[in-house]
Amino acid sequence: MELNAVHREIPPRIDGYGDTSGKLFEGAFARHPSGYRSGARMRSFTPNSGSKLSGSIKDAIKASGLKSGMTISFHHHLRNGDYVVNQVIKSCAELGIGDLTIFPTALFEVHKGIIPYIKSGVVSRIMGSVNGAIGRLVSEGGLGSPVVLRSHGGRPRAVISGDVHIDVAFIAAPTADRAGNISGQMGSAACGSIGYAFTDAEYADVVVAITDNLQSYPISPVSISGIFVDLVAVTDFIGDPAGIVSGTTRVTRDPLRLLIAKYASRLIEASPYFMDGISFQTGAGGIPLAVTSFMREAMKRRDIRASFGLGGITGYFVDLMKEGLVQKLMDVQSFDLEAARSIASNPDHIEISADWYANPWNCGAAVNMLDVVILGATEVDVDFNANVNTEADGALLHGIGGHQDTAAGAKLTIIAQPLTRGRIPCVVDRVHTVTTPGDVVDAIVTEFGVTINPKRIDLLDACVDFAASREIPLIPMDELAAKAKSMCGAMEPIRTTDRVVAIVEWRDGTVIDIVRQLEKQVS
Amino acid sequence: MRRTMLYLPGNNPNMLLRGHLFEPDGLVIDLEDSVSAGEKDSARILVRDVLRGGEFGNCEVTVRINAADTDHWRNDVGAVVPCGVAGLRVPKVENPQMVRDIDEEISAVEARSAIEPGSVKIFCLLETAMGVWNAFDIAKASPRVTAILPGGEDLAADLRTSRSREGTELEWIRRMIIVAARAAGVDALDTVYPHVNDDEGLEREVGFIKQLGYDGKSVIHPNQIPVIHAVFNPTEKEIQTARRIVDAAAEAASRGLGAVSLDGRMIDAPVIRRARYTLMRAGLSTDLEMKG
Amino acid sequence: MESMDFKTSQAGTLESMDCLVTVTGPSDVRIIEVSGGSASRFRTAIELKVNEVLDGMGCDAGVRVTVQDNGAFGVVLGARVEAAFARYRGGALS
Repeated sequence: MELNAVHREIPPRIDGYGDTSGKLFEGAFARHPSGYRSGARMRSFTPNSGSKLSGSIKDAIKASGLKSGMTISFHHHLRNGDYVVNQVIKSCAELGIGDLTIFPTALFEVHKGIIPYIKSGVVSRIMGSVNGAIGRLVSEGGLGSPVVLRSHGGRPRAVISGDVHIDVAFIAAPTADRAGNISGQMGSAACGSIGYAFTDAEYADVVVAITDNLQSYPISPVSISGIFVDLVAVTDFIGDPAGIVSGTTRVTRDPLRLLIAKYASRLIEASPYFMDGISFQTGAGGIPLAVTSFMREAMKRRDIRASFGLGGITGYFVDLMKEGLVQKLMDVQSFDLEAARSIASNPDHIEISADWYANPWNCGAAVNMLDVVILGATEVDVDFNANVNTEADGALLHGIGGHQDTAAGAKLTIIAQPLTRGRIPCVVDRVHTVTTPGDVVDAIVTEFGVTINPKRIDLLDACVDFAASREIPLIPMDELAAKAKSMCGAMEPIRTTDRVVAIVEWRDGTVIDIVRQLEKQVS
Repeated sequence: MRRTMLYLPGNNPNMLLRGHLFEPDGLVIDLEDSVSAGEKDSARILVRDVLRGGEFGNCEVTVRINAADTDHWRNDVGAVVPCGVAGLRVPKVENPQMVRDIDEEISAVEARSAIEPGSVKIFCLLETAMGVWNAFDIAKASPRVTAILPGGEDLAADLRTSRSREGTELEWIRRMIIVAARAAGVDALDTVYPHVNDDEGLEREVGFIKQLGYDGKSVIHPNQIPVIHAVFNPTEKEIQTARRIVDAAAEAASRGLGAVSLDGRMIDAPVIRRARYTLMRAGLSTDLEMKG
Repeated sequence: MESMDFKTSQAGTLESMDCLVTVTGPSDVRIIEVSGGSASRFRTAIELKVNEVLDGMGCDAGVRVTVQDNGAFGVVLGARVEAAFARYRGGALS
């Protein structure tokens, strides 16, 4: 066993993943690419090539040449309303295609529909987030090969560098035309940005657009051009609009979340980044949205305007732009209908790909321009390492999302969360799984105040100065960890077997941690 | 300071353990109305154990016990006083004798649990017309009494009216209680503002009671705390003026001068006292020489 | 004298940071069952707390104690066990 740079033991070889030597995490910015980008199959389309319209999903799968053992990809813009993943897997099973590697940008609860196909061997490998029932299944050893978890930026990097080759990309298309031009902005399953699908369209050998809203050629606007798309399948519904909307645009009234958000926003206001032109990413959760609302007040009070908001965009952010407090939105994922409507109508609301958003191996991802990001975590340790992948009981529960990418890119990375969830402490001596290294986490904010990474003396000084007029309770990490321990008591260890069920890759493709199979619960 | 006294339902662990995090000036752990009749025993045990844990930040910790006309109040006193509470909030106080009965019970418990005699204070809730009418005598009934407060719903019912958003029914009562409190030398604290999502209404009401002279208000939801503090907290300009007055007075005193003027205006004792009070409310001084 | 009839008592709730404790008896031996939020990481601590409270209350008869946890800290668990057992015993509260 070798130790990587965050002191995790990584086996030299992992069945179903390969050798890890030379792939151990060395530091947030240690690795740089060499050589050339990987490429997709070249193909042509002549006036005599016939129609891309291939009929049903099943017909499109046949036409795509998909065979057992191949890798297929999906995007998650339809979130918990997605019908496409389940339909494609079911159709593959009916066509006798199995041993598939699925490479989604994320999976949701709705995708537990594929569990029977995991058990029957239609799906033998998952590279992408697993949660809910699938996460539980994988954690207990129900999948033959380990899951590979990559961040939103690490995934396009893996594709472009050739770590992962996509045989067939199935792209849920809220609107498409017969030439395969795709937009997420119109149709009954409109989801706004489809930024996560761009790289798949460009690098897959075969690209299948699946739509329930076929419009006459050419549609406008176009997000993904038909020059990348081989086939267009038409189905009744690609998704349920009610499940597509996620997050909330109403600021929470929960006093604990508001308190944490207040401390986080004071930290931002005290930081050197709170000035005209600040940029931030706050996502869609309860605390981040409340931080955004406090920042809105602070920006008004101090007469400051933000240059851009990044990442997953909500209607709340759209309102900030309408108010003139934020000038541009860079949107890789639109969380609600207001955001989807805005991206379709406002040129200052820019659709960006996951590559543009967060890939560490291009000439400048948007995360590198970011001043402040507010993130969560299931747990953080005394070295500021964050775990967003496994729950308190050790089961896989979440994907990485943009956690690694924004933490690495932003000048001020804040993890804001209650110190305890029930009796489970969120600050511990050693996280079960390292998702994001403490090196790129600047502050933890809990209901007990602000805990600053000792590396950031500048930030500490800024808070102390600021505290004179508007208080920020500062609590050192050792004190915070001791508090959590005295409140919760000592936890029993998570019992695992030696078998590796998931690999957590850092965004540069190195192994930052592994997740082992849970021992069977004795009850 | 008692600008904000946050009620915490006695049978709710979440609020009992977290209430102090919202930094009210005080906590009122409730064994009375927020605890159903069948849960009095369970809540009393929980409150006792949480009090023993003692994690309440800088809050003044008090407990609202059950009323003197119930079977519960003596058990309440016996359970919480040994845990070191700053005071008891007593509901439905109608006359001085009720205060003296409570006082006696507290003294007995203090004595057998080695608590400093007289240290546990009494906050009297005046929830009937009779209680309000007797406000001054109640406030003077025991040296333990540290504050008197008007009731809300119960008082409205006793007056044969209902609570209004404008507080018409409480208007005279609030004026009466501030006078009685000041005459007796105790704090006047206001009843809760029950509309938890109406910050503007709350701000208006706090502005009114602050102008009457109240020291603070009972709080029903943590989100009300910053709103109330914002009204009670002096503005930056008030703080500056107060600081100049206090400094000028200190300098005059050091030079042996009795009277002092600032910006052409004579500064006398009441002005200095008010300036000190302003600095205290701003958290800039704990030195409040109210007897000046 | 304790009644030998089958009895059951409860205290607590299933609200966040609370637990519902059920005491049933008589039972041949003391049985402690734990389920819910913290069971995976705090089972031993929960069992220790239940025993500590019951022993402190002089419980020497067999009872079955069921803890349905929703994130209760030790101080809350202890209070709920005490209340549940006091109700079970039907005696005066401490």
